[in-house]
Amino acid sequence: MVFDELLILTLNENKKNKDWSKDALSLTTQLLSTHPDIINPEFYTIWNYRRNILINGIFPISSSEEINELLNNDLAMTTKALKVHPKVYWIWNHRRWCLEHIPESSNSSNTQEWRLSTWEKELFIVERMLDADSRNFLAWDYRRYILSSMPVRRSERAELAYTTKKIEANFSNFSAWHQRTKVLSSLWASGEVDRVSSLQKEFELVQNAMFTLPEDQSAWLYHRWLIGSGDDKSILEREIKVIQTLLDEQPDSKWCMDSMVTYKLMLLNNHLPRGTRESIDITNQCLTLLAQLEELDPMRCQRYRDIGGCKVDELSSLKPSLTR
Amino acid sequence: MSDTLLTDLHVKYIQNLGKNKDDLTYHMTAHLRMNAVYWGLTALCVMKHKDALDAEETIEYVMSCWDDEAGGFGAHPGHDAHILSTLSAVQVLAIHEALARIDVTRVVNFILGLQHPSGVFAGDQFGETDTRFLYCAVSALSLLGAIDRLDRERTVTYLASCRNFDGGFGRVAGAESHAAQVWVCTAALAILDRLDVIDVPTLGWWLAERQLPNGGLNGRPEKLEDVCYSYWVLSSMAILNKLTWIDSAALTRFILSAQDSEDGGISDRPGDMVDVFHTLFGVAGLSLLGYPGLDDLDPVYCMPASLIERMGLKKGWKALPRRL
Ligand SMILES: [Zn+2]
Repeated sequence: MVFDELLILTLNENKKNKDWSKDALSLTTQLLSTHPDIINPEFYTIWNYRRNILINGIFPISSSEEINELLNNDLAMTTKALKVHPKVYWIWNHRRWCLEHIPESSNSSNTQEWRLSTWEKELFIVERMLDADSRNFLAWDYRRYILSSMPVRRSERAELAYTTKKIEANFSNFSAWHQRTKVLSSLWASGEVDRVSSLQKEFELVQNAMFTLPEDQSAWLYHRWLIGSGDDKSILEREIKVIQTLLDEQPDSKWCMDSMVTYKLMLLNNHLPRGTRESIDITNQCLTLLAQLEELDPMRCQRYRDIGGCKVDELSSLKPSLTR
Repeated sequence: MSDTLLTDLHVKYIQNLGKNKDDLTYHMTAHLRMNAVYWGLTALCVMKHKDALDAEETIEYVMSCWDDEAGGFGAHPGHDAHILSTLSAVQVLAIHEALARIDVTRVVNFILGLQHPSGVFAGDQFGETDTRFLYCAVSALSLLGAIDRLDRERTVTYLASCRNFDGGFGRVAGAESHAAQVWVCTAALAILDRLDVIDVPTLGWWLAERQLPNGGLNGRPEKLEDVCYSYWVLSSMAILNKLTWIDSAALTRFILSAQDSEDGGISDRPGDMVDVFHTLFGVAGLSLLGYPGLDDLDPVYCMPASLIERMGLKKGWKALPRRL
């Protein structure tokens, strides 16, 4: 058997005796790196032990150059492991721990030198990981961590451009759309990007995706984020018209109909007085769409019934002369 | 492939787990052993075969994983304490009514010591944070009768910061919504009586859209179906009283089709290798869907509902009525 039981027993013994020597460190290296397919990288106790050896045994007797080198070796070791196990939390976690311990460089004119180059490398690696699997949520989480902890913060516009690139490569990449909601919120809040004009550009981008892949929910979800709680009446009315155009082309598009109902209900609840001719007409349009959705999407028919049910109650409470 | 639940085979499958200690997989999965004991035992309880594993043997195993230095439980004897294995230990001991055997004060202090100033919890001394760990803390404290020692305000504030525009929750603040994280956040808020933090119509919609044409549920938009995601989505819907918003018959068929009809156990999707994790979440999902002959499962704690009710911890969730 390839599995090295003896190695594990020795390690457990060493750990119990708080053996923080270089020999103990190389035993953990052996266990964690030489059999990347055999030894489970989720063996978290060994990662913990390794960090304890470094903190308590090795760092105190090392120069900052040596510490930097040790940590870079660990980053290189886990890069190999990540290629085999891209979704193991413990590996990502160990990288983060390494970053947090990168020392200031001995070059007094640029103490951030090592940290800067390490963070740049991390950003490069996480981009390669996202090239391999653009939905890997651990990689995205790590990316956000890297960006938020960079020694010199990168412009958020650069991150916005990154999401544009990912979205244009694949409209179905909801992880990239999600990231865009976070980056834009922050850019709007800081005033670095003007919300009103950027909103127009976002609607253009997302409409392009909706018209290209109307059955893909990623773009529809993003569209819903742009609409928000529907406080802007003119945007709501304009987007309802756009979706109507698409619905005329694709009369069986569930996402068109579902979004149409949602936005028309927002129009009713936020902007139109109850009981007017216009609001009754819109309510009836919603009820018709909901009945079509029940047919088209029977798996979720109860949801459409529940939404319609509330509206029917509202209609029947109005004067009979106004309802048809 | 079978259209009924093969209870006897699944019970046998769980009984045989871990019997062959020379097996490579036994060692490969040591880091999950305590969780596996909880998954197996809970699946047996739901199938009304709690006695298929020896209670005293199980309790002794749990106690052998105590990490006296940290004051919590590890995944296996000799492994470091972690909040994931500590919750599983508490759950197993609660099911066997053996919580009196542990030093509750020390376990409570171990858990409380893992909370960060932001309100999130780390998994262990090395500080990786995740809403999963926050749930583990809230659930374990509640089961130990110590929920009043938790800083509720800070905990809820952190949960709210993980909420996204689609109604869902991510692993950490800023992260994409993911069904497993939605469940841990929803269930934690249920325990803390703070479901008001959730935008129920939007989250209910997002959850309902996880169902795919083959009946299975995915964990994020445009991803594959999986039995375990089916459970995360289903239990969240049960807590929000929205179980009727998906097609329960189609999901029941999907879970049943992922059974191994020769050797027992349930896999992530039809044709794949079974494991005890998916076996529990398959059976647990069927219980919430009202599958005949099963015991009720509490979707907030993922434990037998009768036990949670006896402990006075039941919240206002709603499963589908049990069919005959
Ligand atoms: Zn799964």
